[in-house]
Amino acid sequence: MSALLQPTAETNPLQDPLRFARRVPPCAIVIFGASGDLSKRKLLPALYRLFYERRISPSFAVIGSSRTKLSHDQFRERMRDSVNQFLEDAPFDEEVWTSFAQCLFYVPGDLNDPPSYDRIREKLAEVEKSHQTAGNVLFYLSTQPSHYAEVIHELGAHGLAQGSGWRRVIIEKPFGHDLASARRLNDEIHTVFDESAVYRIDHYLGKETVQNILAFRFGNGIFEPLWNRRYIDHVQITAAEAIGVEGRGAYYQEAGALRDMIQNHLSQVMATISMEPPTVFDANNVRDERAKLLRAVRVMKPEEVGKFAVAGQYGPATVGGQNVPGFLQEPGVSPEAQTDTYAAVTFFIDNWRWAGVPFYIRTGKRLPKRVTDIAIQFHAPPLGLFNQETRTGPRAPKPNLLILRIQPEEGISLRFLSKSPGSGMRVRPVSMDFNYGSSFGERTPTAYETLLVDAMAGDATLYTRQDMVEASWQIVQPILEVWADTKFNFPNYAAGSWGPRESDEMLARQGRAWRVP
Amino acid sequence: MTNSMIYPAQPEQILKSLGKLWTSLGQEEKEHGKPTVLRACAMTLIVATGESDGGFSASQIISELMHEHPSRGIVLTVSERGERDLEARVFAQCWKPFGKAQQICCEQIEIHSRPESWPHVGPTLIGLLVADLPVVFWCRHAGVLGPQATADQIAGMEAVMSLATKTIVDTKDQDLASSLERLSQWRARGRLIADLEWTRLTPWREPIAQLFDGERENPYSSFDRVEIAYANDAPPASALYLAGWLTHPFSAKISFTKTEGCTPGVQKVTLRSPHETIELERRGCECMTLRSTRTRTRHYNYADATAYSLMNEELAVIGADPAFDTAFNRAQEVLRNAF
Repeated sequence: MSALLQPTAETNPLQDPLRFARRVPPCAIVIFGASGDLSKRKLLPALYRLFYERRISPSFAVIGSSRTKLSHDQFRERMRDSVNQFLEDAPFDEEVWTSFAQCLFYVPGDLNDPPSYDRIREKLAEVEKSHQTAGNVLFYLSTQPSHYAEVIHELGAHGLAQGSGWRRVIIEKPFGHDLASARRLNDEIHTVFDESAVYRIDHYLGKETVQNILAFRFGNGIFEPLWNRRYIDHVQITAAEAIGVEGRGAYYQEAGALRDMIQNHLSQVMATISMEPPTVFDANNVRDERAKLLRAVRVMKPEEVGKFAVAGQYGPATVGGQNVPGFLQEPGVSPEAQTDTYAAVTFFIDNWRWAGVPFYIRTGKRLPKRVTDIAIQFHAPPLGLFNQETRTGPRAPKPNLLILRIQPEEGISLRFLSKSPGSGMRVRPVSMDFNYGSSFGERTPTAYETLLVDAMAGDATLYTRQDMVEASWQIVQPILEVWADTKFNFPNYAAGSWGPRESDEMLARQGRAWRVP
Repeated sequence: MTNSMIYPAQPEQILKSLGKLWTSLGQEEKEHGKPTVLRACAMTLIVATGESDGGFSASQIISELMHEHPSRGIVLTVSERGERDLEARVFAQCWKPFGKAQQICCEQIEIHSRPESWPHVGPTLIGLLVADLPVVFWCRHAGVLGPQATADQIAGMEAVMSLATKTIVDTKDQDLASSLERLSQWRARGRLIADLEWTRLTPWREPIAQLFDGERENPYSSFDRVEIAYANDAPPASALYLAGWLTHPFSAKISFTKTEGCTPGVQKVTLRSPHETIELERRGCECMTLRSTRTRTRHYNYADATAYSLMNEELAVIGADPAFDTAFNRAQEVLRNAF
C-alpha cells in the first residue's frame, strides 16, 4: 500500500476524485441577514442543491440569524418555501429536504445587539457536538453593506473569529462605495480577520463561463500567442439587462451602473481576459495576476472623463407593445435622480502586452436584451485582397472576431472569412461555434454553489482580494468624482435601445463601433 | 436524416455518405440564411450489440448521450439476421436546445455484421474513427462475457477493443466468475476496461467516503467488519467491488447476505468497529438512508441508474481509474476467499 493511501486525517483512502464531487470539510455556516432576499433566492437553494448532490460533508449545519423573530421550525418552513420556489434546474425532494432541514437552525437578533452574538456562539458550540462540524465556521454577511464593519467588530469582540477550527468570512459586494470607504472597510475587517480568511464574493467570477476564460486562454496553445496588441485591435465587454431596476430603485439610485457593475464584475472580467498567465494555478498566483493587471489600467485624468466615459439613464418607451416606465418613474426613485443606469467606459492597460489597445466596457438596464459577452476584435489583414459580399455590394471584409459568451448562450465563437462556393473569389464571414451547453450538456452549478463550495474548501481563487478591490475602485474613482459634479440631461436613451448616442460617438471618434450582440 | 444502405461497408463509402449528409444539412442553412446546424464531436463511440439487444435501444441511448458527449456513434449490431456480411447506413441525430434556433447534430453509423464477420470488422472501423479524439467501445453484447462465448465473439470483441482508448462492459446478470476472469485477462494485456457494475456504486461510495473526511475519533482502520446485503440469486459484481473497495486498505472481515429489494443489486452495507456502526441502506425505490451510531441519520435521493446515466458518468472518465483498479483486484481475492 502506498503512503498516499494511509488513512490519516489528511487523506482518506475512500476518496475518488475522478468521480466524487470536490471534498468539502465539515463546517457550520452562519448567515447574517438570513431572512433577506439573497438567502432566500440564492444561498439556501444553493446549499440545498449541494446537499442533494451529496457535495457537502454530512457534518454541516447552517445557523441563520436576522432581526425577525422566528423559531428553528419557522425558519425551516420559510426556507423550505424559498428553496421550492427558487431552486434552478433541479427537483425538490421531500425526504432530502427533511434531512437537510435537520441541519438548519435560527438565532434571532439585531446585528447591533451584543447578546445575540453570545447566542450564536452557544449554538455553534452545540452544533459542533451534535453535527460534528469540527469547529470550522464560515460567516456569511448577507446584510446591508453599512453593517459589515459592525458585524465584523462584534464577531471579534465575542471571540467568534477564533476557535478550534478555521474561521472564514464571506462578504457580499459592494465593498465600499468609493476608494476611501473600501480602504476603511478593509482596515476594519483586518482588525479581526486576516486577509486569508476574508472571501469577498463577486458572483460573476463564479460563473462557469468566466472560469472557462482561464481554461480557454491558458489551456490552449494557439490563442495566447495572439493575445496582445500586435494582433488584437480592441476588446468590447457588454453586460446588458433587458429589465429595469425591479423594485430596487431606492438602492440603485445610490449605486448606479458604474458602481453596480463596472467597478466589480466587469473590471474583474476585464482582468481575467487580459491578465498574464499565472506561474501556478492557485488562489494567490491567479489573484496576483488579476491585481497586477488592474493596477496597470490607466487612471483617467478628470479632463479625460468626458472623452472616455459615458453615463446614461433610460427614459420611458413602448417595448413589445407595452409601456415601460423611465428610471425616474420607477418606484422609490427620486424624480431628480442623476443615477447612471447605463455606463460605457474606455480603459487602456498600460503594459507591454496591451499598450494602445482600448477595452470598451458597457453595461445598462433596459437595453434590448439580456446578454453578457466579450468580443475580441483582431486587426484586419495587412493587405485587403478580397472584398466581402454584402447586401449593398462588395466591401472591405470584417476582421476576425472572437466572442466569449458569458450568458445566456454560454460558449465561444470565432468569426472568420471563407470563400463562397462557386466561381469567383467572393468571401463571406462564417462562424465556428463552441456551445458550452451542447458540449457539456450536464447541469452546470450556479455561481453560488461554486463559490460556497470553494469557501468551505478554502479555495479563494474566485474571490476578490483587498488589493484587487482597491485597484478596481482606483480606476473608476475619477469617473465617479466627475459625474458627481455633472448635471446630466437625463434621460438620454429610450428603454429598449442600445444606450445613449454619446456612447456610439465615443467609439466613432476612434474609428470603431459597438457590435450588436 | 438517413442515407440508404451501404454495401459493402467500405470506410470510404461510408465517409462519402456522411459527407453528403452534412452537405444536405448545410443546404437547410442556406435556405434559412443563417446557421441552423452545429456539428459536434468529442469522441468516437462504438457500441456493439447482439441479437437480443437490437440496434434500436443502443441508438436511443447514443442520442441521449450526445447532449453531454457529442460523438460519432457507430452501432455495430451482430446478428444472424443480416443477409450480407457487413452493411452500413449513416444518419444524423439532431436536437435543438430549448429556446435556441440552432440544431446540434452528431453523426451516427449503423453497421450490421453477421456473427462470423465480427472478427473482421476491425479494418472497417479503423477507417471510421474520428482522428485525434478518444475512442470508447461500449460492449452491450450479452454473450461475450459468459462462459458460452464463442471464439468469433471473443475475437470480434478483441478486434474492436484493440482500437479503443477505453472499453466499457456490464457484468450485471453475467456469470460472475467467468466474467471477472475475462476482464482480468484483458486488463492484464493492458486494456483499459470499465464495468458499469462499478459505476452503479458511486451513490453508495460517495456518502461513505465523506464520513471519513477530516479528523475523526474512529479512523477508518478501526472498522473490522463489512456486511453487504444484496437482492439477487447470487452476489452481483457490484457487491464484490464494494467489498473490494471498502476493504482494500485493511483486512476487515467481509460477509454477504441475501435480502429483498425494490430492484436487484446492493441493498445495504454495514461497517462495524468496536466503537461505531455505519449503515447505508436503500429505503424504498427512491431513497437511501445513512445511519451511524455516532451521527444523525441522513436521507439521500437515490434512483436506479439507467444505461444513459451510467454511460454519462463513465464517458467522463476517459483515462485510468485507480479506484476501480484497486477494487477490482481486491474483488477477485474476495471472490476466491468468500465463496
